[in-house]
Amino acid sequence: MTITTTIRPPADALLTTRDPIVEPIVVTEDLWKLYHAGKVEVPALRGINFKVMPGEFVSVMGPSGCGKSSLLYVLGGLARASRGRVLVNGNDLTAMGDAERTKLRRDKIGFVFQRFNLLPTLDARGNIAIAQHIHGHGFDAKRFEAITQMLGLTGRLKHRPSEMSGGEQQRVAIARAIINDPKIILADEPTGNLDTQNSEIVLSMLSKLNKDLGQTIVMITHNPEAAAYSSRVVHMRDGVIVDAAPAS
Amino acid sequence: MIRQLVVNNVLHRPIRTVVSILAVGVEVALVILIVGLTSGLLQETAKRIEGIGADIMLQPPSASVFLAFSGAPMPIKIADKLREMKYVQAVAPVLLQFSSSNGVDIVYGIDPKSFRDVSSGFVFLEGHDMQGPDDVLMDDWEAKAKHIAVNDTFRMLDHDFHVAGIVEHGKGARLFVPLATLQDLSGSREKASVFFMKCTNTEYTQAVMDEMRPVFPGYEIRPLKDFLSLMTATNLPGLNAFIKSMIVLAVSVGFLVILLSMYTTVIERTRDIGVLKSLGASKAYIIRGLLGESALICLIGIGVGIAMSYVTRAAFQSSFPTLSILITPEWIVRSALIALAGGLLGASYPAWLASRKDAIEALSYD
Ligand SMILES: Nc1ncnc2c1ncn2[C@@H]1O[C@H](COP(=O)(O)OP(=O)(O)OP(=O)(O)O)[C@@H](O)[C@H]1O
Ligand SMILES: [Mg+2]
Repeated sequence: MTITTTIRPPADALLTTRDPIVEPIVVTEDLWKLYHAGKVEVPALRGINFKVMPGEFVSVMGPSGCGKSSLLYVLGGLARASRGRVLVNGNDLTAMGDAERTKLRRDKIGFVFQRFNLLPTLDARGNIAIAQHIHGHGFDAKRFEAITQMLGLTGRLKHRPSEMSGGEQQRVAIARAIINDPKIILADEPTGNLDTQNSEIVLSMLSKLNKDLGQTIVMITHNPEAAAYSSRVVHMRDGVIVDAAPAS
Repeated sequence: MIRQLVVNNVLHRPIRTVVSILAVGVEVALVILIVGLTSGLLQETAKRIEGIGADIMLQPPSASVFLAFSGAPMPIKIADKLREMKYVQAVAPVLLQFSSSNGVDIVYGIDPKSFRDVSSGFVFLEGHDMQGPDDVLMDDWEAKAKHIAVNDTFRMLDHDFHVAGIVEHGKGARLFVPLATLQDLSGSREKASVFFMKCTNTEYTQAVMDEMRPVFPGYEIRPLKDFLSLMTATNLPGLNAFIKSMIVLAVSVGFLVILLSMYTTVIERTRDIGVLKSLGASKAYIIRGLLGESALICLIGIGVGIAMSYVTRAAFQSSFPTLSILITPEWIVRSALIALAGGLLGASYPAWLASRKDAIEALSYD
């Protein structure tokens, strides 16, 4: 039932320069996630076996309600797995307490959301810098500059979210996600609220991050064109991973 | 960065912020003014009592130095007993009455001769000493505040008095009437509320007090030398309890307003809290941010409250010149700390709620 698609080696040479025994960044083993809606148990994930190698750009596709977001939340330590195991960068999330998962999220994960989720009272600079502040290593001006430049944000840093277009907001969100050099970026329909042009900009930025910096990315999308930017596509249905897109 | 977030968040809802600041301001001003008013009154009372020039003051058991609340009066015969004691030169019985016509006043019922013996007499600025039973003496401040001149009729305690003289302030009270008249008016014939005593020499004060104690067990016997410095609000149990309960009331206002304001803030910012959690912010980080906001509001409110106290005092003193409100640095600092603590306490429940929010639910909050 659960078939991982073949791992296409990343285009760059990053893998070869790393440790010869490459460990996956993400591993899930028979991962279940149940929600409790009143007395009813809603299974969102029903035995996910999934692996992501360093430097991969994986798309997750599937119909609405199949559990894509739930998977991302569990991988990012925002939600607790109900059953099974989740390893991120070798750390077993299922054995961790709330505080430990928070710390892992802070150090190893960068989230990007469909609704951008910038803090409305901070300008772009503040929204990116607060991630550094939470991380606790202070403001790294060099890295800040490099990233905002790469994402084309230098002229927008003093703008608040309400003064920016959706595309700009999402680029700020990406800058915020990568400012602390996370092991993996988890993006939940990052282009879901964007027009075609802005979607392309955002996707090419993600792709660039992946190719140039070897940034590992897991991205949920409904859009096959968006999925085409990734190195591998995983299909989900009813809480499990299936081998191909359902014929419809 | 969190500082900027705190400041921007506080500025984000100006009306809510202003209301919270005002609440803290009112709280601080209330504390400063209540303490200021009581200690002002007390200091003034103490200064005036000291100004009488007596050496010892005898009051019934558990009487307050706020002479108006003096408990049951004592038989006037006590004066004779006191006069018989060694080293006692003069004894002046005084009956006290609280008059609330035209503001609040303490009236001394005195026997002019004995009062003069103890206090070495009034300084008359106008008019003359009491002669008839309806004569009243008034001090200059009172006369000025009430726009009263010699020979005016002054109604008080449901009785028309004739203003016989205006005297220099500082001799116990601002209003003096004949002892017998006040005894009649208050239905306490042959009674006195306090005895002021003069010794043949101030050095004998302690000796006289030692002699008095076994004769008047439980009575309040106070030396009046250095009386002023001894009389502070916190030295007096009843007053202290009153001040404390007023402070608790004032702090409750600040506490509740901050609690409500931070509670609505937390609900309004549910999503932002979810975002911070997704970025790996710890519970402590979220709590710190929210407490920072309430601390900022409190600090501004404290400044406003201090300003409000001075403005209120100025306003009061222009309409009630006899009222003294004592604003001390000590109580400014105390009220500030109390307000800050109350504000942080009020914010801590909403902050705790925020820190416990489920990240995913928070992120999907609209
Ligand atoms: N907090 C929750 N309580 C109860 N059920 C939930 C909760 N969150 C999600 N679910 C249910 O879990 C299932 C998976 O939801 P999830 O959001 O992971 O799907 P999704 O694939 O991301 O869908 P979409 O494409 O619409 O975003 C759905 O049936 C959903 O109704
Ligand atoms: Mg989803």
